Amino acid sequence: MKKQYNTLSLIKAFIIDLLIWLYLVGTGFYLLEQLNVVEYKFSYFLITSVVLGIITFVTQNSLGHKGFRSKKIKKRRWYKTLWGWEIFILIAITFVVGWDIVEVNPIKLIAKFKNSKVIISQLFNPNFDNLLKMLSALSETIYLALLATVFAIPLAFIFSFFAARNLMPKNLLGNTVYIIVRTVATIVRSIEALVWAIIFCVWVGIGPFAGMLALLFHSMAALTKLYSEQIENIDSGPIEAMKSTGANTLQVWIYAVIPQIISPYLAFTMYRWDINVRMATIVGFVGGGGIGLALKQEQQLLHWRNVGLIMWLIALVVWIMDMVSGKVREKLVKH
Amino acid sequence: MENILTLEKLNKFYDEDTHAINDVDLEVKEGDFLILLGLSGSGKSTLLRCINRLIEPTSGKIYFEGTNVCDLGGTPLRHARREIGMIFQQFNLIKNLTVLTNALSGRLGYFSTIKSLFPRLDNELVAQAKKNLKRVGLEEFANQKVKNLSGGQQQRVAIARVLMQNPKLILADEPVASLDPATADSVMRYLGNLNKNDNITIICSLHFLSLARKYGTRVVALKGGKLMFDGEPTEIDEQKFKDIYGQDAEEVDIK
Repeated sequence: MKKQYNTLSLIKAFIIDLLIWLYLVGTGFYLLEQLNVVEYKFSYFLITSVVLGIITFVTQNSLGHKGFRSKKIKKRRWYKTLWGWEIFILIAITFVVGWDIVEVNPIKLIAKFKNSKVIISQLFNPNFDNLLKMLSALSETIYLALLATVFAIPLAFIFSFFAARNLMPKNLLGNTVYIIVRTVATIVRSIEALVWAIIFCVWVGIGPFAGMLALLFHSMAALTKLYSEQIENIDSGPIEAMKSTGANTLQVWIYAVIPQIISPYLAFTMYRWDINVRMATIVGFVGGGGIGLALKQEQQLLHWRNVGLIMWLIALVVWIMDMVSGKVREKLVKH
Repeated sequence: MENILTLEKLNKFYDEDTHAINDVDLEVKEGDFLILLGLSGSGKSTLLRCINRLIEPTSGKIYFEGTNVCDLGGTPLRHARREIGMIFQQFNLIKNLTVLTNALSGRLGYFSTIKSLFPRLDNELVAQAKKNLKRVGLEEFANQKVKNLSGGQQQRVAIARVLMQNPKLILADEPVASLDPATADSVMRYLGNLNKNDNITIICSLHFLSLARKYGTRVVALKGGKLMFDGEPTEIDEQKFKDIYGQDAEEVDIK
């Protein structure tokens, strides 16, 4: 048993060392090529990385060893160790390559300010003639976000029980359900609401309904995660107590789980509505209706004073939502 | 008198190296007030939780009223649990709900799932819950939230909850360990009262020998998962006490 663990940790350590050197040599070649010093060849890159990876691994003092076999490594200050220098080079080279790839140019940032001077001055001088029209678009956004949140609640509520480790039995069925619900929620959540909006715009046509569906999907997945984490944090004592009275699983959930999660759930939901209002604007940009759509139209017509009005209205709503939801959450968490 | 509970060769392994319960044989007679002594980690909690299968024993047999609880599953297991009440060190009440609802929750094993959503519609049951709360001196607290109650009061709510089950056996897992000495004695008095007047068998783990002598009819001690003493409370002298709790232990008198 013990021996197996050792071999496994050795393999893990070697893989880490190899990956580190593949990255370091790869980025090194990239930089040298930018400077026209060497010509990149895949075989050179591969051989150098593997050789360096093996050399560092054999020293028994590499980052891979530090990560998986730390008990075998003597405690020393980082600059006296190989792994310490590996980390240092890793950070340094990443920063340098990043700077180059992103084309960071601070001079441009300062010198070319005058290009946007006109636009900025117009943004700060909003056109109030269109106030009524924009307010109606804004209310569309708020209602859209509200409905998306409200519809997401019951779905996420049900899913969260199946995505909570401590509620799912530790057998094949329980594990399978847990993993499936968790994975689907993670995938749905990792796809941006913006992408969902594009999908639903094609599905149901451009307009607030598509925006609502996009937010609904995303919120459902996000709330499932937040809710289930809340369930995993509850006090398990009442669950034990309810089981010991002979209650069935559903009764245990109703009595021991739900009363413990109801107020954090409300707090999260409030927070989610707040996020949804902000996201509804972005979703509107790709056809999800509301103020986002108006923002896009005005921006394309280069009506910067109208864009300014929209910008200030959104800021106002976000500020109010932030304040209200903050206060409500504070109350909910305390009681 | 008849045995209400018989344990035969009970074993529990948490993993290969952790042998929490080691070949325990135990017979509990109806009407016993059995005190379970032993250091923290000696397996008291595990033993109690094996009896109602909150923890799954690795091997062995547990006969409760003649039925091997280990063979049960699903509804029959839940029906067996209805007759075995449990009281916990941390009370394990639902803190956001009222005292009355907590008392009623003891009856869950007898409800259908639909009925458990509206237990207060059953007037007879509410009356019974109030009667039990009165018995532990908490009738005027019925509509208060549990989190506003003191520790001793909360443990009394837990006793009222157990009473709703009409249990034949109560497992008490260090019921007074988080209470002050005076409150501890009053909670033990309620348990003693149930034992004498309602003829409910009680298995109670404790650390205070004085309470064990006062309320117990029999004492059993665990050490490293093994049963190492079984006798009358008066049989435990200083030497026995040191055998159970280690040579450095001194008996602390809390009165």
